[in-house]
Amino acid sequence: MSVARPAARRLLSGRLPGGPRAAPTTAAATAAPCHQVLGHQFHSSPQLAARRRPRFANVRAADMGLMDEKQIDEFTAEKFTRYTKEEMEQLGKRYSPQQIAAIEAGEAAIDPRDLTVQGRLRVDPYALPYIDDFAESQPVIDKRTRHEPPPDPMARFMNVDEFTQDLIKWADQFPTGDVTGTLKTLVDFVPDEHKKTPEAHWPGAVRTEAHAAFESYLKSEINRQAEGPDAEGGPTDADVLQYILERSGMTDNNQVANSSLALALPARVPGVAGLYKNAIDPADNGLDDTGIYQDLKRRTGMSVQEILSLQTKRLVLRHVSNQTRLGKIRKAAVIYCAGNGNGWLGIGEAKSTESMVASVKARLTAIRNMRPIRRYEERTIFGTVEGKVSGTVVKMSARPPGFGLRVSHRIFEMCRAAGIYDLAATIPRSRNPSNSVKAAYEALCNQPDPEEIAKGRGMKLVDVRKVYYGGATH
Amino acid sequence: MGIHSVVNACTHLQNATRARLGLTSVPNTKYNLLLMTAMQKAGLIASVTRGGPLPPAPNDASEPVTSANVATRRLWLGLKYWNNEPVLRTVKPVSKPSRLVTVDLKTLGRVTRGFPVGSLKGLNLGETMFLTTDRGVMESREALKRKIGGLVLCRVQ
Repeated sequence: MSVARPAARRLLSGRLPGGPRAAPTTAAATAAPCHQVLGHQFHSSPQLAARRRPRFANVRAADMGLMDEKQIDEFTAEKFTRYTKEEMEQLGKRYSPQQIAAIEAGEAAIDPRDLTVQGRLRVDPYALPYIDDFAESQPVIDKRTRHEPPPDPMARFMNVDEFTQDLIKWADQFPTGDVTGTLKTLVDFVPDEHKKTPEAHWPGAVRTEAHAAFESYLKSEINRQAEGPDAEGGPTDADVLQYILERSGMTDNNQVANSSLALALPARVPGVAGLYKNAIDPADNGLDDTGIYQDLKRRTGMSVQEILSLQTKRLVLRHVSNQTRLGKIRKAAVIYCAGNGNGWLGIGEAKSTESMVASVKARLTAIRNMRPIRRYEERTIFGTVEGKVSGTVVKMSARPPGFGLRVSHRIFEMCRAAGIYDLAATIPRSRNPSNSVKAAYEALCNQPDPEEIAKGRGMKLVDVRKVYYGGATH
Repeated sequence: MGIHSVVNACTHLQNATRARLGLTSVPNTKYNLLLMTAMQKAGLIASVTRGGPLPPAPNDASEPVTSANVATRRLWLGLKYWNNEPVLRTVKPVSKPSRLVTVDLKTLGRVTRGFPVGSLKGLNLGETMFLTTDRGVMESREALKRKIGGLVLCRVQ
């Protein structure tokens, strides 16, 4: 019995439980010192001889001098300085008095000593280079500051009266001056007797002089306009350009926005609503805003809703290249199948340098090429048919109800699009992807018609499956 | 009774129908006559007329066969077309003189229902098989109805 149970221990220790602590004999004290400490044990683990102590002694921060009040004050003064009077003045320029009061209250609420003693300043390599009191902005980390107020949501386009008022207000900032756009021309710098004659007939000296004068006039005009409107001048060309390009046409008091982008037009611009010619057909209910189905809609007579409800699937994607003397021209060749799940199937093939473009083209072609596929009992095909394209042969056989589609994956997708549920197909020879798709489509399209065969032989055909059991054969 | 004339007639019939001929002729043998009349009965051939080396006139009463002209008699066959397609698309002889293929009733039933037995593939949609039995040449479905097997002559699609 390795585990000392209380009863056994009592026997071993030779002491009575719960008895008064008499002075132990020296022999008992040396033999079992632990039993004197704990009277009653309820767990099975052996008792320790003494309290566990760490093998390596810890050093207290105070012993290292880290908790020295002087050092704490030094660190605090160095790291957590208060705002100086100049800084507060600078802040006062930026923030309102209420905000300044809030900043001061926040500063007063936190004792810098607490930050030193309790706060944790990160020193790892990934620490941010500043303690974020939002006093400065880091363009890499922070969002772009937005200096301007947000745009007025109630702004609208000015009407004629408001526009006139705005124009007058703009013009009033220029004291007087001539109308802009009256720059002098070369003719103004020649004597009067030459003003009527063309430039080619002027004497050489007159022409040179006129050109020099005109050039110096242009330079002075450019300088004048670059300096801005002077006391006697009216709006310069630059002012007019700025008015045209930058003056807001809305009732937002020509407010400057945070973004250089123009505001989006409202949903309904008053006065011009209904005047835009909308190329999008409202009958589409917004399903075809890009207009890719408009041609298909016209050709097939289906609505966009019907077109979108068709099952389409990309069957083949391969990259082909044409070797020219300028290098290889790579293109993506795509084959799509499309069907309505109820007896119509089409395949479309398209090529383009962009595979996405090729896919869209192939899909639209597949929808355009849709044609009815003969189905027996709307679940399988008639008899055994075979399609052949190049070296690829696809053999298909009708199968009983519940047989399923035991066909390869591309033919499976075609059957699903066409609404065929029982079929067996084998591709005994080449299994080229695009040729197998084409051969399968050819096979599905070339099914024999039993009625026509019977008519050719002068017979009457009756499908007994439709006669027995009231036609309820599947 | 050898079947070589039937095998030749089958091949010739397929060639003629692929060439879109309206009228063609096969040698006048008993076996050919039996097969062609069975085909006519099945609606695969428009007409079977015994004539001479030249096609018979439309309303000509057939010339009696005599020992003098029997060697020159031929069977003139009118071929059928429906919807621009020949009614008789493929005629494939099954038995040949060097290998005769016979079917018993059980095999005939399976083949006629579309299941393959041995080297005989099952009949496809619109396909039929002609057998020669001890009750004459007939279609496979008729032989099955009468519960008799026989020698497979050809399969027609």
